[in-house]
Amino acid sequence: MRSSGGWKEKHEVMNMQRETWALLIILLIASAAAFAHATTTIEEYSRHNIGWNGTSNLGLEEIHDLSKIPTGATLLILAPEKPFTEEEVDCLRALLDGGGEIIIADKEGFVNPLLTALGSPLRVLPGNLSSLERDHADPRIFRARVTGNATLFAGIETLLVNHPAMIQGGVPLLETSLLAWDDTTGDGRPGGTESFKRRAICAREGNITALGDPSLFINAMLPENPELIKNLRGHPVLIDAVHSRTGTRNPIINTLTWIQATPLARAAIAVLAILPVAYLFGRKRE
Amino acid sequence: MAGGKKYYAAAVLAIWLIIVTFFMVLNRTLDLEVYFVLSLIGLLVVAVLVDGAFSRPRYMRYLGYVIAVGVALFAYIVVEKILEIIAA
Amino acid sequence: MRPRTSHIILVAATLVAILILAAHATTPILYTAENISTAAHADPATIKKRSPGDAASLIPLMDELLDQTGTLTLTIKLKDYESAERDLAHYTALSNRFDRLVITLDVSDTDIGEFQQMNRQNLDSLTTLLDDSRRLDDLKRLEIEVRGDDGRHTAVVYEGEALRQKMHQGFSTYAERVPAMSRIAENYEINTTTYQESTEHFAEAAEAADTWRKETGGKTPPSPLSINLTPTEGSYGDVIRISGTHLSSKVPVEIYVDSRLAKTTTPDDSGHYVCSYRIGKILAGLHLVYATAGPAYSDVRTFTALPGNTTLTLTLEEVSQATVACTGALMTGDRPVTGAPVVLRLDDTKLIEARTDENGTYTKKIALSAGDHTIRAEFHGAGFPLNPSESETETYHVSGDLPSPLPIIAGTAALLGTVWYLRRRHQREVTPEKARLETAQESPEGEEEKRELPAIDIRGLDPRDAATVLFHALRARLGIPATKTPRDCAEISPAHARFFERYEKIRYAGETPTDEELRWMEGEARGDEHAT
Repeated sequence: MRSSGGWKEKHEVMNMQRETWALLIILLIASAAAFAHATTTIEEYSRHNIGWNGTSNLGLEEIHDLSKIPTGATLLILAPEKPFTEEEVDCLRALLDGGGEIIIADKEGFVNPLLTALGSPLRVLPGNLSSLERDHADPRIFRARVTGNATLFAGIETLLVNHPAMIQGGVPLLETSLLAWDDTTGDGRPGGTESFKRRAICAREGNITALGDPSLFINAMLPENPELIKNLRGHPVLIDAVHSRTGTRNPIINTLTWIQATPLARAAIAVLAILPVAYLFGRKRE
Repeated sequence: MAGGKKYYAAAVLAIWLIIVTFFMVLNRTLDLEVYFVLSLIGLLVVAVLVDGAFSRPRYMRYLGYVIAVGVALFAYIVVEKILEIIAA
Repeated sequence: MRPRTSHIILVAATLVAILILAAHATTPILYTAENISTAAHADPATIKKRSPGDAASLIPLMDELLDQTGTLTLTIKLKDYESAERDLAHYTALSNRFDRLVITLDVSDTDIGEFQQMNRQNLDSLTTLLDDSRRLDDLKRLEIEVRGDDGRHTAVVYEGEALRQKMHQGFSTYAERVPAMSRIAENYEINTTTYQESTEHFAEAAEAADTWRKETGGKTPPSPLSINLTPTEGSYGDVIRISGTHLSSKVPVEIYVDSRLAKTTTPDDSGHYVCSYRIGKILAGLHLVYATAGPAYSDVRTFTALPGNTTLTLTLEEVSQATVACTGALMTGDRPVTGAPVVLRLDDTKLIEARTDENGTYTKKIALSAGDHTIRAEFHGAGFPLNPSESETETYHVSGDLPSPLPIIAGTAALLGTVWYLRRRHQREVTPEKARLETAQESPEGEEEKRELPAIDIRGLDPRDAATVLFHALRARLGIPATKTPRDCAEISPAHARFFERYEKIRYAGETPTDEELRWMEGEARGDEHAT
C-alpha cells in the first residue's frame, strides 16, 4: 500500500500556515479597532470625534496662533470655553480693522466678555428656545428663517437649528417664527410667564456675526443644511483652534497631531521604524 | 486533517456573525430577532455546504437537532411578526 | 484529559450564553438609537419626526377672525341681514376651528388663550347685535303699524327702550375688549384696522336705536315693571336674586338674561315678584337682565360673572389588560362644575373628550396599546365663567399581551416538521444501505443463482461503469456496508485488497481498466476460485 504519510505532514504544515493566517487577520482587525478607538474621541464639537456630535466632517482650516491671522480673513470661533487674553483681543481688533470678519458661534454665553471687550452690542442669551412650528418631536429643534443679507446665508431660506440660544442686539440675520418661546420651566409647553415672541438666533454688528447655534457645524447637522456648508467651503473660513472646542484633551491624539505637524518628528519616527528592519537584514547577511 | 471541515465551518460561521454584529452596531440598532434570523441563515448555508453526500459525521447529526430547534424559533418569530402586522 | 476540559468549558460557555439570551428573549430589541441628546444638542436623525400640524395656520386664523368682525358689523349696519347670517355662520365655524386648534396645540395658557376667550365673547356680542338689530327693525315697522293703538304702542316703545339699553351695553363691553385684543394681535403682527373699524360699525348700529327713539318722541314714560338685582356680581354657582314690582297687573313675568328666556315667575298680590338665577354656563363678564310682563318691558340691568379658579383631579384605574378608567372631579372652590367638557390628553397628542355629570365628576374608559402612556385631564373653561385648569400628568404602564398560542403552535409544528424531514432523509440513506446489506446477506445463501443474476451483467457497459458495478457486487458479497470506501474495503478484507486498490485508481484517478483487468475483476466479484 502506498504510504500517504507525506501527504498528511504537508497538510499539517498547511494547517499551521492557515492558522497563522487566521491569527494574523484577527490581530489586524483587533489593531484596526484599537487604532480607531485611540485616535477618536467623544468630546463635543471635537475635530477628532467621528460621531454625531463631532466636527470631523467639517473640513475647515485651523489656525493655532491668533497673531498670525492673515488680514481680511474670516475667523470662526466655535463654542469657545477658554477666556480671551488682552493680546488676543488686540489681535482680533486688528483683524476687524483690517477688513476681516469674525463669526462667533456660542450657545452657553462664554463669549459675552469677548463681545464686551470688542465693544460690540451683541450678546448671547442662553436658554431653552423652543418653537411651536417644528418638524421634530423635540420642541428645541426647528427651522429658523433667514432674514437680512449675509454672504454666509446667501441663497438659503431656512436653516434647521438644534437647541439654539438667542442673540440680543445687532441686525438679525436668522429669526424664529412668531410662535417661539423660551421654555424656562422645561416642560415643553408654552404657558404662564413664557410668552411667544420672534427672536433672533443670529445677528450681525459691523464685521462681527454672533451665531447662537454652534451645533450647525456638527456631523449630524451637516446633511440637514447642505447649502450652509457649501457657502462655508466657498468662503475661506479659518477656525480659531486655541479657543474653539474643536480640539481634544486626549493626549494620544494630541501627540499624533503634533507628530504630523512637525516634520522633524516625522523624520525621527521614520528613522526609528527603519532601524530595526535594517539591523535584521544586516544580521541575516552575516 | 481530522475534522478540518468542521473547523472551517465553525470559522466561517463565526466570521459571518462578526459581520452581522458589525453592521448592527453601525446601524445603531441591536435587535436579537434580526441577529437570530441572520445567524440561522448562516448556519443553514454552512450546514448545506459542509454536508457530504457519502458520509454523515457525528457533528452533522447533532447539527440536525440544532437546526430543528432553530427553525422552530424562526417559525415562532415569523408568526409573531405576522400577527403584529395584522393587528396594527 | 485536555479535550475533556475544553469540551466542558465549551458546554458551560454555551449554557451561560443561552441563559443570558433567554433572559432578553422577551425584549428582543436590546438597543435602538432613539432620542440621543447631550446637554448642548440632540441628534436629529434619532428624534422622531412629526407632521408640523396646524401651528402655521394659527396666526392666519387669528387674522381672519379679526377681519370677520369687520365684515360682520358692516353688513349688520347696512341691514343686509341675509349676508349677516352667512357671515355669522362663517365666523362661528372659524371660532370653533380656532378653539379646537388652541386645545390641540396646547397654547391655552398663553396670550393666544386670552385672545380665544375674548374672541368667544366677541362672537357672543355680535350674535346679540345681529338679533337686536333685526328686532329693532321689526319694532320700527310695528311702531308705524300700531300708531293708533295706545296699548300696543306703549309696549313697542318699552321694548324699544329696553333694546336700546341692551345695544348700548353690548357696545360698551365690545369696545372694552378692543385695546387688549389689538395689543395681542399686534404682538403677532396682525393687521387690526378692520377690527378697529368694526367698533365704529358696531357704534353706528347701536346708534340706530337712539335715532329711532328721537323720531318716536324722545321720551319714554317710566316702565311699570321694575327690576332689581342683588348682588350685581357673582361667581359660578352663586345665586342672583332678581326682584321687582309690576304696578298694573298680575301677568306672569318673564326674565331674560342675555336676550334668552331664563325664568318665568308670577308676581304676588301686591305685584311683587322675586326669583333667583344661578350663574351657570355663561361667559365671564357683563350680562344683561331685563323682565317682560305682557306688553311691559323693564329697564335693563347688568350683573358681572366673575371668573373663578377651578381644580381638576384625575385618577387612573385598571379595568382590564389594555383599558384604563380615568375618573376625576372638576370643582371651583367647594362647588362642583356640572356639565363641563373635560379633555383628556393622551401622550401629548391624542385628545379624548369627557363630560362632568351633576356631581362634577367625569369618567372615561380609554383603550391603550402596550407600553408607557401619559394622561392629563384639562378643562379649558369654554363657555363657563371659570379659569382653565389641568390635573397632574399621570403615567400608566400597559404590560404587553400574553403571548398568543398561534406562534407557539407554529414553532412546535416547524420543529416536528424539521425532525420528521431529517429523519426521513436519514432513513432514505439507510434504506438503500439496508437493501444492499440484505442483498449481500442473501447472496451467500443463493450463490448458484447469483451467477444468473442480471446485477453482475456488465455486457454493453462502459469499462469504468462496469468496474463500478463489479465493486458494488463484491462489496455486497463480502457483506461490507455500503458506506465503506474502496480503501476501507481494502483494509477490511485484505484478501481482495488488490481488487479494491485497482478499483480505487479506476474510480478516483480516472484510469480505464483493460478488458483483461475487467475479466479478472469480474471473476473476483463472482468469487471464482480461479481468479488471479
